[in-house]
Amino acid sequence: MKLISKLGVAGLVLGLAGSAAWLIAQEERPIFRVKVDMVVLSFTVTDSKGRYINGLKPSEFRILEDGIPQKLNTFAEGNKPALQMMDDGTAKTLAGGTEGPSKPGIDPRSDAFVGTNVFVLFDTSNFMYRGFVYAEDAIADFIRGLDRADSVAIYTFSRNVKRNTELTKERNDAIAGLRSSVVGDDTALYNALLLTLRDAAKVPGRKVIIVFSNGPDNASMVAPDDVRAVAEDEGIPLYVISTNEVNKDPISSSVFRRITSRTGGKAYFAKSWQKQVEAFESIREDLGNSYTVTYYPQPNPNEGFRKIAVEITSDVGKKYRLRYRPGYRPRSGF
Amino acid sequence: MKVLLSVVLVCAAFAPGSLGQDVRQMERSGDAAGVRAALASVVQNSPNDVQALANYAEFLDRHSDPGARAAYGKLLAALKNAGNAARTQAVARRLAELDLLAGDRASAARSLDAFRAANGKGLDLPAAPASSAVDGPGMIEIPGPLRSFARMAAVSSDLGPDDLLAALARNVVTNGYQASHSNDALEQTEYLKLVHRYLSQARELDKLAGEKKVIEISNCESKEAGDLLRIIGYRMRGGCGSEVVLETVNASRAFLTTDSGFPLANLEQALRTNRPFTYDYHPTRAPVMYGADYWLTGKEKGAEFIDNFLSDPSLCRLYLGLSKLDRDTAAELRKAMPAPRIKAFAHVLDFFGGMFEIRDGKAIVPGGEKTAAAWAELAGAPPSQGAAFFEKLLARDDGWLASLFDAMSRMSGPAKDYLTDPARLKRFYTAIRGRVTSPGPARPVFRSNADMMLLTTRLRVDANGRAHIPGGLEVWKNLFVNHPHGKYDGKLTKSAVGWKEPEDVLEALFGLSRKAVENEPLKIFMAVSDLDRNRAKPLEPDTVDKLARNFKIMGSQYAIFNDAPAVSDKTVVQFLDTALAISKIKDQLLRADTAGTMQALVGLWQIFSRQGLLPAASADASLSSILGSFAQIRADRDLFDGGRNGVTILLKATGTKDGVSPHDRLVDLLSGTGNPTDIETHGTMVKDAIRVLEAQHIVSLKTLFDLADHLESLGKGEKLNTALVNRFASRISEIQLPRAALTTVEKNAYAFGYWTERHVENQRKVNLRATIDRAAGNAEKLKDARGLMAPFLRDTLVAFNYAHYAPPGAQILYTNPLFVRGHDFLGVQGSNHTWRATEMFGTGWPSNGGGRLVGSLSGLAYALAEAEQNFLIPSQTQALIWADLVPQMILSAKIPRWWNTTPAQMHWIGLHMRYGQTLLAEAALDSTQRAALLDALSAYAAPARTRAIAGLLAAGDAKGAAENIMPAELYAVAADTVARRKDTAGPLLSEIARLRAEVPNQVSNETISRAFGTPKPTLANSYRPELLKLRTFPTLMGYSSRIMAESWESNTLYWVSLADEVHASPGQLNVLIPEWTRRVVERIFASHLEDWPALLRSLNIVGEDVRAKSRSGAAAEQKASLQ
Repeated sequence: MKLISKLGVAGLVLGLAGSAAWLIAQEERPIFRVKVDMVVLSFTVTDSKGRYINGLKPSEFRILEDGIPQKLNTFAEGNKPALQMMDDGTAKTLAGGTEGPSKPGIDPRSDAFVGTNVFVLFDTSNFMYRGFVYAEDAIADFIRGLDRADSVAIYTFSRNVKRNTELTKERNDAIAGLRSSVVGDDTALYNALLLTLRDAAKVPGRKVIIVFSNGPDNASMVAPDDVRAVAEDEGIPLYVISTNEVNKDPISSSVFRRITSRTGGKAYFAKSWQKQVEAFESIREDLGNSYTVTYYPQPNPNEGFRKIAVEITSDVGKKYRLRYRPGYRPRSGF
Repeated sequence: MKVLLSVVLVCAAFAPGSLGQDVRQMERSGDAAGVRAALASVVQNSPNDVQALANYAEFLDRHSDPGARAAYGKLLAALKNAGNAARTQAVARRLAELDLLAGDRASAARSLDAFRAANGKGLDLPAAPASSAVDGPGMIEIPGPLRSFARMAAVSSDLGPDDLLAALARNVVTNGYQASHSNDALEQTEYLKLVHRYLSQARELDKLAGEKKVIEISNCESKEAGDLLRIIGYRMRGGCGSEVVLETVNASRAFLTTDSGFPLANLEQALRTNRPFTYDYHPTRAPVMYGADYWLTGKEKGAEFIDNFLSDPSLCRLYLGLSKLDRDTAAELRKAMPAPRIKAFAHVLDFFGGMFEIRDGKAIVPGGEKTAAAWAELAGAPPSQGAAFFEKLLARDDGWLASLFDAMSRMSGPAKDYLTDPARLKRFYTAIRGRVTSPGPARPVFRSNADMMLLTTRLRVDANGRAHIPGGLEVWKNLFVNHPHGKYDGKLTKSAVGWKEPEDVLEALFGLSRKAVENEPLKIFMAVSDLDRNRAKPLEPDTVDKLARNFKIMGSQYAIFNDAPAVSDKTVVQFLDTALAISKIKDQLLRADTAGTMQALVGLWQIFSRQGLLPAASADASLSSILGSFAQIRADRDLFDGGRNGVTILLKATGTKDGVSPHDRLVDLLSGTGNPTDIETHGTMVKDAIRVLEAQHIVSLKTLFDLADHLESLGKGEKLNTALVNRFASRISEIQLPRAALTTVEKNAYAFGYWTERHVENQRKVNLRATIDRAAGNAEKLKDARGLMAPFLRDTLVAFNYAHYAPPGAQILYTNPLFVRGHDFLGVQGSNHTWRATEMFGTGWPSNGGGRLVGSLSGLAYALAEAEQNFLIPSQTQALIWADLVPQMILSAKIPRWWNTTPAQMHWIGLHMRYGQTLLAEAALDSTQRAALLDALSAYAAPARTRAIAGLLAAGDAKGAAENIMPAELYAVAADTVARRKDTAGPLLSEIARLRAEVPNQVSNETISRAFGTPKPTLANSYRPELLKLRTFPTLMGYSSRIMAESWESNTLYWVSLADEVHASPGQLNVLIPEWTRRVVERIFASHLEDWPALLRSLNIVGEDVRAKSRSGAAAEQKASLQ
């Protein structure tokens, strides 16, 4: 923490968010320590009728981890520029834009503070054969409708995952990547989701993953809940649009519901093209109406699961409903 | 910095006129980069010094540095000025060879002029072939671009048009047709239906493209835009302008459009911006072998060739079969056999024709002249009548004789001489043929049975010229007569009573090889033969008998003994007895823990033996002692003591000093502590191992053993060490309940895993503090309490094995914290997986709790690689089709370790690979050398490829030839030639001779084989790396596909040669080879399983990338050093 206090906030985000803080003395055995990165937390506020509540101020929120109040580092609403929270409680607008070393799947120009990094994971396995072209159309529409500030990456998967388009703000590139998909092979949804999460985790700022899949997985080696745990720990909400009907595959459906709700995302069951378009519209609304805060956790001896709570301090806010991930496990590192 | 220091040192010690000992020493120690910089520096200071230039050029040449050509160029100029004709001639010749290998014919011609000017004779650069005709009856047109057709036909777009139809034929044969649901006829698969639909759509687009063959849409509102959209199945949403969006209107057409890679996004963008859209739609022109007319009947000739081709699987099979023949042989066959007659035997030709060869009208037969009469008798025509012989061979017995011919053609060495003895040949043919010949071995679309090929390839012939029968004849008689699990074959059981000679056993094995059922006797025979192969003294008959009788249950464990051939008969028997005793433990959890702990310790023993960390002299005693600890396990406490004892034995056998943390020491040993010179790589490996152990929340051995000691001390009245107990408790709390959030429905969907769940649940319930309190100081109860830690000890030891074999990426190990704990040593209830090879279970739905590994640890490395391969990210548009081959590639990169490898050994490989290329260049310039090279190559490459390479060399295309020879073939040809040739002229041969003289033990065939070979658990029943110099096996079904993968030995040789080029240290191979292998797999774009050239292309892409990065780094470093 000493190190943190000596560096500027922007530098911290770059330097710590993705790095492993392993401590190793020369010629000594590496020791794993619990490592606490900056926490990125997205949440939505809705009223009793499910309408998004906008315009709330940073001071109206209280973030707790295991009951310990946290000091906000940045605060952003929708795709508006993020605010940096100063020590005196004031806020100032952050200028985005960073340059950094390029990593696989990562566009180094991705903006850490403005917009959302949207990873679309599109099922191109044999299960999607029938509805493939309609799904492509729906995703293409979604990409076109994204906020200008958002970046989008298109990944496809069957037995393996493929990075069709890496994170970009160029909609045409994303759509061209989408249209280059090839259909066929087994469905390893959770393997693919894990790899997408690993890529997304390397990107600074706010990010979400939208899975478009028919549902049944017949080739993954990792369990949905292990993948969910990674998403939860990395603070990446998962959205799933399943083209399967709920009652056709109840196990898939319940897994989808669980992994999305536990990460702060949502599951949609949309068999028809129209329903798929509606699902994408709903996700877009979610992205545009959610709040994102960052903070460096206060000292906490708990090295296991840390429970997050978001509270609205005003009386009127007590009637609102908040949706966010329930917590995370701090990473282990050397 | 290292280079800078080297330059200073070498420049001081190194005069231009000689290659000083210091320089040699530097090179030998692996500091080739330093030597390079130093030699460059000397040349810079003395630019006209012939010797300095020669030293530099030859050094670069020896290390495959592309700068060698320029350096030789300067040397040539200096020699011309000096008037040294003899050296000028040698240098000009070498330069011409390097020019040819670089594909620079013009420079090669100039170098040859210089060679001739210096009175050189005997070398000629053959004329380049005229470019192949683009028109004529041999060409067909397929509508649309090659890339689109290739995508739809599942053919690699890396293939040129020349190979297109053969690849397509293969796909049609293997994937194009299926049995009809309603009748006996075959019906098209969805794959083939889509290809047909694509062609139909492509023809419409071709028509739209007009005579110019370019689809042109002038603007959004044009008629052509509407026509195009109709054909491709889309429509515009919104009016023309910035709002226009393309959306599906006809799903079938739209699917073909997008799946074939039509540039839909560009079209949409053009329509939106109202700019013209153009798309080159020239048809794909592909040559048809022998011209289209050869393949079509009269009435078919008016139709499109491609449609007829796709609609006739037997035609495709014939095309495929003939494409595997070398051109001359195929021409002879075609002359002798009308097309319909060959077509009748297309299936035999497809599977077994690849080894047919006719030269000067005669058939080349396995065994040569001495067997010609026997082959003539069997086939019905003499080999001297080449085409007639093969015609008869094809027609004989539905392919059984051809299958024997194929298997024997692939062999070499004493076993070939033995099996092609005329009398034996006839006898074994009768056995393999059987009485009922139908269905023949070529009826399926994949070869269903590798047994005969395995038998012929791996048969061992003793010094007395007889086949090696492990354990002796009586063991095998007894096995067949008193069979352990039912009769292998009723007739053989009867005849076995009268067996008198080894051939009787082989005859039985040949006979069983024709059966589709599992051939257990052959597997036993091969497994035990392979055990004997590396032993100084063969196994005793009683041992072999015991191994044979327990093969069904224990067979997968036998490869363990090959990692330490000094293991005695007594210990082999002890292993079996111990394993069988463990299987009898009634308590399921105790049995699983005991088997897991014992197997994990034996696994570590195996790793240490293989890596030379455990001296061969103590291997037997240490294994025996480990096994002794598990002879009588009655309770968890016994198990914990046995496990701990095993760790102590291993530590002692590996020379561990007292007082060292057992946990840290094992991590160190697994991470290559044997070579302290490469601390950096060792550190990387240690970190990787610890990451895996941490991700799996493993309790360290130190904690476990300290606790055990503490429990004992508590019994003696010592005070409780709360910190120690809490450390253990804290670790336990990190173990999560498996899939805690599952619903009842999900839980009910599980088919297996009950015992592993119990294993994890029980661990979570352990409360050591409470147990200690309950014991209330009772010494005996406190001692018993250490039994609670036995399951943890099992997991820690198993985790060491997992960490050692963790594939590149290791996503599962990092993501699923219960992967190691979830290893199921019992398997599904009712089955007995405890000693079977490791298998992957539970992938995908409905067992969505994640996959896990089941069975013993004997196949752990393969299973981990198999589980991890789907996490690789292909760079090409199609997913990996190499599911059967990738795990073996990963295995070959992870099992061997190069801690004991020397720079001289790496350089030995690099020099041979370089010399192999030189042989190609020589062969391009000299027809005598060409014949010798092709003769050497024919021992490894199939006739068709050998002839193709001959054609390239005859046209002076050494570079093209090099691109068609696999690295293992190149190495083998070079090694054979070096052994045959006695001269040591030139920088490569002289360096090879020098290494052989200076470090003979490091570069012996056996040492090189151990250092750079690959593990072959299926083919050779061994994980011990070995270079067998085999021909690659053909595509085989089922477990046999692993044999095919194991016959590929090229990767490691290629990597080591590359590492030698970029001056990597031997220790770095431990990190570089797994990483390079991952990159290669991600770049493979193959059309089929035997598409080895695709793998070579991928190797070259990664190799070029590594070279480019190394050169840019070296250039910067050299610049800095010179400044």
